[in-house]
Amino acid sequence: MIVEAKAISKSFPGVRSLDRVDFSVSAGEVRALVGENGAGKSTLIKIISGAYVPDEGELHFDGGNVKWSSPHEAQAAGIHVIYQELVLFPEMTVAQNIFVNRQPRNSLRMIDYRAMKTRAKALLGDLGALIDVNEKIKRLSVANRQMVEIARALDSDAKLIVFDEPTAVLGGHEVELLFAIIRGLKQRGVAIVFISHRLDEIFEIADSATVLKDGKLVGSVPIAAVDRNKLVAMMIGRNLADIYPPKAQEGEVGEVVVDAKDIVVGARVKGVSFEARKGEVLGVAGMVGAGRTELAHAVFGSLPLDCGSIRLVGQAVPKPSPTRSIAAGLGFLTEDRKGEGLFMLLDLAANVTAPVLETVGESIWLDRGAEKDIAQKQIRDYAIAATGPQASVANLSGGNQQKVLLGRWVISSRTALILDEPTRGVDVGAKVEIYRIIRQLARRGLAIIVISSELPEIVGLCDRVVVLCEGRKTGELAGQEVTENAVLQLAVAGRDAMSAGRSA
Amino acid sequence: MSAVTSDPPRTAARQAIRQMPVSLLVVLGLIVLLLAIGVIASPRFASLNNFRNIFQQSAALGFVSLGQTIVVLTGGIDLSVGAMISLTSNFTSGWIDGDPNMVVPVVVGVIALGAAIGCVNGALSHYLRVHPLIVTLGMAAILQGCTLLYSLAPVGKVTDDFEAFAYGRIFGLSYGGLAMLALFALVGVFLHRTRTGNAIYVVGGDARGARLLGISVAWTMMLAYAMSGACAALTAVYLVSRMGSGDPWRGDGFDLASITPVVVGGTALSGGRGGPLGTLLGVYLISLLNNILNFMDVSTFYQWIVQGLIIITAVAIHVEKGRRA
Amino acid sequence: MSEPVSGELPTDRAASSFPTGQLLSKYGLLGFLVANALVVSVLSPAFLKPENIANVLTQAAPLGIVVLGQTFVLLVGGVDLSVASVMATSAVIATGFAATDNRMVPVIFAAAIGLGLVVGLVNGFLVAKRNVSPFLATLATTIVLQGLRFLYTQGSTGSTLPSAFALMGAGRFIGVPVNLIALVVLAAIFGFVLLVSKYGRKIYLVGNNVRGAILVGLPTDRIIIGCYALCSVIAAIAGLFLVGYVGQVDQWTGKGYELDSIVAAVMGGVAITGGRGNVFGALLGVVVLVVMFNAVILLGLPVQVQLILKGVIVIAASAFYLSGSWERT
Repeated sequence: MIVEAKAISKSFPGVRSLDRVDFSVSAGEVRALVGENGAGKSTLIKIISGAYVPDEGELHFDGGNVKWSSPHEAQAAGIHVIYQELVLFPEMTVAQNIFVNRQPRNSLRMIDYRAMKTRAKALLGDLGALIDVNEKIKRLSVANRQMVEIARALDSDAKLIVFDEPTAVLGGHEVELLFAIIRGLKQRGVAIVFISHRLDEIFEIADSATVLKDGKLVGSVPIAAVDRNKLVAMMIGRNLADIYPPKAQEGEVGEVVVDAKDIVVGARVKGVSFEARKGEVLGVAGMVGAGRTELAHAVFGSLPLDCGSIRLVGQAVPKPSPTRSIAAGLGFLTEDRKGEGLFMLLDLAANVTAPVLETVGESIWLDRGAEKDIAQKQIRDYAIAATGPQASVANLSGGNQQKVLLGRWVISSRTALILDEPTRGVDVGAKVEIYRIIRQLARRGLAIIVISSELPEIVGLCDRVVVLCEGRKTGELAGQEVTENAVLQLAVAGRDAMSAGRSA
Repeated sequence: MSAVTSDPPRTAARQAIRQMPVSLLVVLGLIVLLLAIGVIASPRFASLNNFRNIFQQSAALGFVSLGQTIVVLTGGIDLSVGAMISLTSNFTSGWIDGDPNMVVPVVVGVIALGAAIGCVNGALSHYLRVHPLIVTLGMAAILQGCTLLYSLAPVGKVTDDFEAFAYGRIFGLSYGGLAMLALFALVGVFLHRTRTGNAIYVVGGDARGARLLGISVAWTMMLAYAMSGACAALTAVYLVSRMGSGDPWRGDGFDLASITPVVVGGTALSGGRGGPLGTLLGVYLISLLNNILNFMDVSTFYQWIVQGLIIITAVAIHVEKGRRA
Repeated sequence: MSEPVSGELPTDRAASSFPTGQLLSKYGLLGFLVANALVVSVLSPAFLKPENIANVLTQAAPLGIVVLGQTFVLLVGGVDLSVASVMATSAVIATGFAATDNRMVPVIFAAAIGLGLVVGLVNGFLVAKRNVSPFLATLATTIVLQGLRFLYTQGSTGSTLPSAFALMGAGRFIGVPVNLIALVVLAAIFGFVLLVSKYGRKIYLVGNNVRGAILVGLPTDRIIIGCYALCSVIAAIAGLFLVGYVGQVDQWTGKGYELDSIVAAVMGGVAITGGRGNVFGALLGVVVLVVMFNAVILLGLPVQVQLILKGVIVIAASAFYLSGSWERT
């Protein structure tokens, strides 16, 4: 065993984050760490990697008892965590990033750039990643940036690598690449901890799983010994009959609400047309980089349209803008919660009422009482774990933050709602609730557009699916046609020879 | 966009030019433009003597702007340089007071003082978690107060050969100007080729990330501000050499004046991007500008306006779509 | 330290905010002010004399007015370095009419407000539409205004003003300084607007997250430009009060007001990165500064000490009040 944690406990003001948890992972093993948001996965990892000190319990690493004094010390010993928020420096090159704290030096103690680049090339080559070491990070795709972080971990002779939700920002094809790398690491004897909410990925890559719930250890099992339902039952303490609510029936779908024709946005969207109808959930599928988010922004009006036309609720919109879209009853839950969605210094109530501010109170004065009521209702309806309307959103967990944003857009959307990766970083229990809300909204008469990189989600939730590939619409599926296979085929159709061999 | 095969062999020079950011080329272009204007403006402009003068006079702005560059690279700003110049120029002439034996110890001491105070700036900013803008503003008030406590009017005097720093020349180029060039080169190498120097870019890029990777943000900040303080002191020493005495108000205006070449030269106020080369070009650009305006007999008043417009222009060019200068 | 969130980087263990941060940040500055006032009045009873307090507040009023405007700009995520230049230019305009007739007062006001509008719109335009850093944009306008001003005055002083200005700037109304009344009225209006109106909330939204504000349909460009315009107009008005107080305008008019206004606001809890704080805190910052200046004089300390104390207080107050707000690490 490379790492063994025994009876680890950790508390924060008001919260017992971990309660006598045991955890272990061996060399060459891929152990999945699963549990709902708030189950304690993050805390456990931070303790193992030296970012936190446990209140009780012991940590063993590579045979010896250890007490890390800093993450850096743990890193030096060979423990690396690759967070979703990558620790990279956009203005520096790939080579510089890999060695950003350990630059090779020549005999004069000056940085040896040639050695740096050579070693960087070798590391990336080992991983099978074709990345130019002289390229600045800011020009790299998210998947490639992840590669750079992995390369950095490899160079420091990592013994344990923790992947914290690595696939949340990757598309299907890139996930396969990552898994290939993880298998390679396994063979080299590296211990891997894999945190993810995507159950099918866990079943594909992990050897074993440890399940946490509310800070306690539910159990550690080999993957072969469980199936999806059992795992989910362990995670949320009850059986999950149906994750996805029933789809729309014939007659429940009405007229076209969002009509986009020949949308062109720079080089990202090359002439896409689609329609979204009242009462239906339309999925927009495709690989990361296919142009889905840009398409959504263009329809909403937050990205300039180079070409194309948009009609909302039958009216032509010559110059789309967020203001006009919101006035027409269209909402947009964006992908980037923190950067584009939340107002971190403001409270929950302010975040919820932001798009509909004008309606909170009669005149130019803001009716704080009314605002509080609105927020209170959201908290109740969506079971948001917060102290009240005046809670600071910065302190909420990712899933709860997502619920706040969802609540915001549910209030303000009357005709249509675009959701970009609505369940990213959200645990299974909350996902089910969100799916329920989405279907409820559709039934209430809205047109719902869901952008998602999770195939099971697209297939389980959506009535119809539009598939994009590299900026073009490669197909549309409806009803029984909507299967994971069909979507995947369309998502990679027409790509270059590199990916031709990877059909599902 | 993501995968590129390994690059074909290139000559070092071609690669260097290819990697040179657009901003530097822009400043170079502006310099060339100004040279052209200067030649048209006056026949005396294009003389060797005039260029030597520009070279000499740029040293004052040069030293302090170099220090400011380092601080801005970490994502901060040093608004105490003006007061620091006042303080150190006052102390320099006050402590030397005509005694040739005191010259070296005082100069060394004063630069060390600048470094020490700068170090305090960095420490306060980091440990108290107060924005450097506020910390250095506060420090500026403290320093100015201390200077005035020491003397309200120019005090002391320097030895005759103290002038050498500013006025002495070798091969027609002033010592001061050469020293400035040398220091820029040294700092450039330091920033690019040493781990400690590189850390300045790293901290400026993402301080939180730097911390996680074991780079001490505290030490890096203190170093950056210490260097800025030392550079400000150097400017003061140079100015004392040029004017013959110190002055408790000598540094007035240098805070904002030292930022202009930095920004014009392409170093971003947000940190992590840019470098001393851009600032050097910025310093020459501004010195050139002042020189031409003098030749055109433009009243000082217009010079202000033109400087302001230059800032706007250079900044507007540096800014890419959606990015801040 | 809050519970960690999955997928996020750990915050540094060692870096925690001051333990007393919460309590201090709410009442710290006020408490400090009260303590200061107590100490000073013990050491120098002259401090609490109504005449002294009235004097102190009269001197502080122009800064207070400027700070009101600066707060708006800071809240929306910017800074305005041109306020001092606008004040001075406004003062120059006032004397430039070379009028002593009080009927010219509305004209002068209109001209000053017009100046403020133009400068503010330029600043706002550069920042919002051309993406120039506020620091640089307002620095550039400062310099340009300075040049224009010197060109007009050629360095000489102007002192021809309608008599109403003296009343405005230095006069009393039932014993209370007129400019203080103006400050209080303006503060009440703007403070109220910020806290209770929808427009005020929009300003906080924009200051918090511009991109997010766009995506909830707010006209962010207009809001930002509006704040800069408001700031410059207020600065122009402050300039009129200042010239009324001093009685003349010279090359030193308004000097230092830009940095002082930023410092006072920040001391009072207005985050320099935007989205947090209000005018009342900012004014508190002004009062602290001004009381401290006054204390130094009353206690017979040399003027230089004023400067040193100012520096120390600025750093200390910002540290306490804003503990943990500059999230560099």
